[in-house]
Amino acid sequence: MTTVSTRPAPPAARAAVVRRRARRTPATWWRGGGAHTLVFLLPVLVIFGLFSWWPIVRSLVMSFQKTNLVTPAQWVGLANFEYVLHDPLLAVAVKNTLWFALLALVIGYPVPLLAAVLMSEVRRLKGLYSALAYLPVVVPPVVAVLLWKVFYDASPTGVFNTVLGWVGLGPFPWLQDQSTAMPSLVLAATWAGAGGTVIIYLAALLSVPPELYDAAEVDGAGIWRKVWHVTLPQLRGVLFITLILQVIGTAQVFLEPYLFTGGGPANSTVTVLLLIYRYAFENSLGGNYGAATALSLMLAVVLALFSALYFRLTRSWSA
Amino acid sequence: MAERLAPPTRRRRPAAAPDRGAVSAADWRRPGVRITLSVTHVLLLVVLVVAGLGPMLLLAKFAVTPTQDILSSPMAVFPNGVRWENLGQAWNEVQVSRYFLNTVWLALGSWASQMVVATSGGYVLSVLRPRYGKVVEGMVLATMFIPAVVLLVPLYLTILDPPLLGRSLINSFWSVWLPAGASAFNVLLVRRFFDNLPREVFEAARVDGAGPYRLFWSVVLPMSKPILGVVSVFAVIASWKDFLWPLLVLKDPAIQPLSVRLPAIAGSTDLGVFLAALAIATLIPLALFLLFQRTFLSSAGLGGAVKG
Amino acid sequence: MKSARRATALTVAGALALTLTACTSSGDDGATDADADGRITLRVVSLLPGSEQAAIDAFDAQVAEFEEANPDIDVVPEEYEWKATTFAAQLAGGTLPDVFEIPFTDAKTLIANGQLADMDAQLRTLPYADRFNPAILDAGTGEDGKVYAIPAKNVYGVGLHYRRDLFEKAGLDPDQPPTTWDEVRAAAKKIADANPGVAGYMQMSQNNTGGWQLTVNSYARGGRVQEVDGDGRATSTLDDPATVEALQWLHDMRWEDDSLGSNYLLDWGTINEAFAAGQVAMFTSGSDVYTSMVQTNGLDPEVYGLAALPLEGDDAGVLTGGTLAAVPAGASEEIKDAAIRWIDFFYTGKLVDEDRAVADAKTLTANDQPVGTPVLPMFDQAQYEQNQEWIKDYINVPLDQMTSYTDSMFDLPLVGEPSVKTQEVYALLDPVVQAVLTDEGADIPALLETANTQAQALLDQE
Repeated sequence: MTTVSTRPAPPAARAAVVRRRARRTPATWWRGGGAHTLVFLLPVLVIFGLFSWWPIVRSLVMSFQKTNLVTPAQWVGLANFEYVLHDPLLAVAVKNTLWFALLALVIGYPVPLLAAVLMSEVRRLKGLYSALAYLPVVVPPVVAVLLWKVFYDASPTGVFNTVLGWVGLGPFPWLQDQSTAMPSLVLAATWAGAGGTVIIYLAALLSVPPELYDAAEVDGAGIWRKVWHVTLPQLRGVLFITLILQVIGTAQVFLEPYLFTGGGPANSTVTVLLLIYRYAFENSLGGNYGAATALSLMLAVVLALFSALYFRLTRSWSA
Repeated sequence: MAERLAPPTRRRRPAAAPDRGAVSAADWRRPGVRITLSVTHVLLLVVLVVAGLGPMLLLAKFAVTPTQDILSSPMAVFPNGVRWENLGQAWNEVQVSRYFLNTVWLALGSWASQMVVATSGGYVLSVLRPRYGKVVEGMVLATMFIPAVVLLVPLYLTILDPPLLGRSLINSFWSVWLPAGASAFNVLLVRRFFDNLPREVFEAARVDGAGPYRLFWSVVLPMSKPILGVVSVFAVIASWKDFLWPLLVLKDPAIQPLSVRLPAIAGSTDLGVFLAALAIATLIPLALFLLFQRTFLSSAGLGGAVKG
Repeated sequence: MKSARRATALTVAGALALTLTACTSSGDDGATDADADGRITLRVVSLLPGSEQAAIDAFDAQVAEFEEANPDIDVVPEEYEWKATTFAAQLAGGTLPDVFEIPFTDAKTLIANGQLADMDAQLRTLPYADRFNPAILDAGTGEDGKVYAIPAKNVYGVGLHYRRDLFEKAGLDPDQPPTTWDEVRAAAKKIADANPGVAGYMQMSQNNTGGWQLTVNSYARGGRVQEVDGDGRATSTLDDPATVEALQWLHDMRWEDDSLGSNYLLDWGTINEAFAAGQVAMFTSGSDVYTSMVQTNGLDPEVYGLAALPLEGDDAGVLTGGTLAAVPAGASEEIKDAAIRWIDFFYTGKLVDEDRAVADAKTLTANDQPVGTPVLPMFDQAQYEQNQEWIKDYINVPLDQMTSYTDSMFDLPLVGEPSVKTQEVYALLDPVVQAVLTDEGADIPALLETANTQAQALLDQE
């Protein structure tokens, strides 16, 4: 083990320079356990250094370069950004991503909340309710998508079309139509994800102080008013956090469009992340890594704002 | 949410307070409310059964249905008999067992790598507190604002040609395990938990002559089981769900997890057999869930909001 | 205390240890090509992912034969499917086998990018090196006149594949497949009407295959998608009237006849699966796809039929393409020498050597694998016919169900794929085909016009 603890000599030396100004010497640093601290820090430095910090720096660099991994990279200034901004698919991808996010909000956001509020009033078999709601989350996401792809079979004998046919609806084209493809993706994604959100809300509902309800009752509030004036305001923080997380998540949606439709029909489900993926990995003659990183960075700037907001919120919560 | 991650003191409400929601006992006694709520709850249960259980029951049925029946009459109950061979073919020819094992390996390694990084990093930042700790913490924190998508291409190229190693990590579990460790969220979560541990215990241990290693292993870690459990659940779930990254770096079918392998063979496998493979792939996590339902649900309540 | 401390330090140093193990466990497969016994390890393309067990057995038997004849080479089969949308990552990732397959269309660019190994010297060691059809050999030849990629198993002309059983159910004569596009449309309508849920005809539309098949359909009506002048300047001609006509025909089948079924997002692999499962009655693809449908999709030979592609209008032609075998740039001489022996054994030798042809056919038939699927000659017609004669006794594909194709395969005019930025142009056409299939009001000329502008911009780059 000694080899490990003496290994990171150069940073120790650098730290020592700083210390001396504070009237401390390498010797005191050593005796104070500074080397041991570095041993503990090593995993963070190595793993973050190699697989987070360095790639982040590299993506900044690469967005100004043209590289095909064979010949040396060339500096191309803003050409990658221009390329991306002039790509007619960019507007389509941004529009689709926003559409996905909006649909996910309309379909996927209220459903778990409603379910959780109702479930919190269940007196018997509460566990059964939660378990059923959570069941889809247990299915591996890829399996869920592949299964739903079968359900979405657009022929009249498809699973959903058969079931809807019983009540005289359909057949619907589901994934095979430019206008219904995206809602179909959102529906499947909501099914796969809602259970987790329900459980989060249930946990949050538990922490609503009962005194608040008691107080509202003293004021003569009915059930609806209690839900509206006590429950929802108390959930505000959680609701906002799940909202931001949903926005961040939907902005990076990939699995569903990639596996369900490959971006089709006619580019109606190409999302920003799918476009990045296409730039980098789907050209048989070599990826356009510059364009891919340029678009990633543009997306990142937008998402970083949301992340910052999220962080502020969780931080103020825990403070 | 984060509040609930703090050490146990404030976690549960005092036992005296009745567990109640918006509907009071008095409300319940009113017949109108009771009937409406009961009906709503029955309806909710029906919806949950149909939406939560329905697709899985269908999958189970399809797993033993001949392909032609799935295509032409999916909702009929075995019009042409049961085809048990689907399951055997999925197990032996599609080799679900092998890809499942790969999935487990990936999850275990990612878990280990996240545990090492998060606990040691949290320990340095919270307990050892070197003077440069703030800088490191800032740099770790900064990565939380960078969405994963930015890393996709440069990380891929880093895996192709990692510094120092001199060989590509493509087609090796390490290409998934090592980057998994770089989770700022975990480090900060653990750090925050450590912050709330009683300092007196550390001081006492130091007085007893415990060095930093012993303090870490015999004092801090044993006191941190709750947070280690949470990080573990996050790690395993995240690894379980991961698709894009293993798709990129694990090109060799022999080491692919289910999430990469199943889509690859979707187009070339008999539908009945393929659905049987999907069913088997679902069965194992399902069994785990039913066994450890409580743990799953409580972690999900904790975790989902924080991690998504 | 000591042990606890050690354990702790071990845990903490985990990350470092991980790194170190990763280092040590490497070495064996990267730099050196020879294993402990001094045998060279050669990774080769085996079959498509998800192949039938019998096909895998047959392949393993061939590997065993090769290793017996070449005891110094250890062949490691790797499943592989060339897809325009996944190839780049494999190439960049260095995860391609030592011998891999690429389509004719991509070779020139890959050679120019320096991504393929120079196999010229190795090719010259083959006794039949100078007997290749020069036009085909040219596809894998670089600017420097050297051969980098070697013509491999498949030179295909596109044909019309159809299901005899579905023809019969619709009251059509399976021995009289359609010979014009109007007849294809009429047959598709009849089949779709007689078999609810079945697509009478369908065309690929995803992963660049939409563009590929649209090009097939345009060629078959006398159109072209690209023209290259004497200086090598390429002009995009996606708005060719024949292409408009091909899409209009598809549009009418979809929206007037409703004879295209209900799944409009199919690619090369998924349309094979749909055809084998009886969901698609007719589709166009390479003449050799029968082999793959038997190996991978368990197609029943009884129901299979292959017809010549209908050709209409001046200058109409059958799109032809093929597969080349290549070795990644940077491969050692040992690997390249081993690779040519494998290419000779697995791909080319059996076409010109009677003993090898018979031995190969024997192994395949023993495992119920197709022998005798019609392809276009890589050498010349006489050679091809001679080869068919050698393996006559082993041919097990239903040739009498393919006569409509085989009777004319040497007479039909062949047209190669567009040569500049082929896959990128195809990628632009995918959404056009999908739009026609999913939007009744799709403005075909406008869609093609837009795609054409984008294609021209691509061709003008560099």
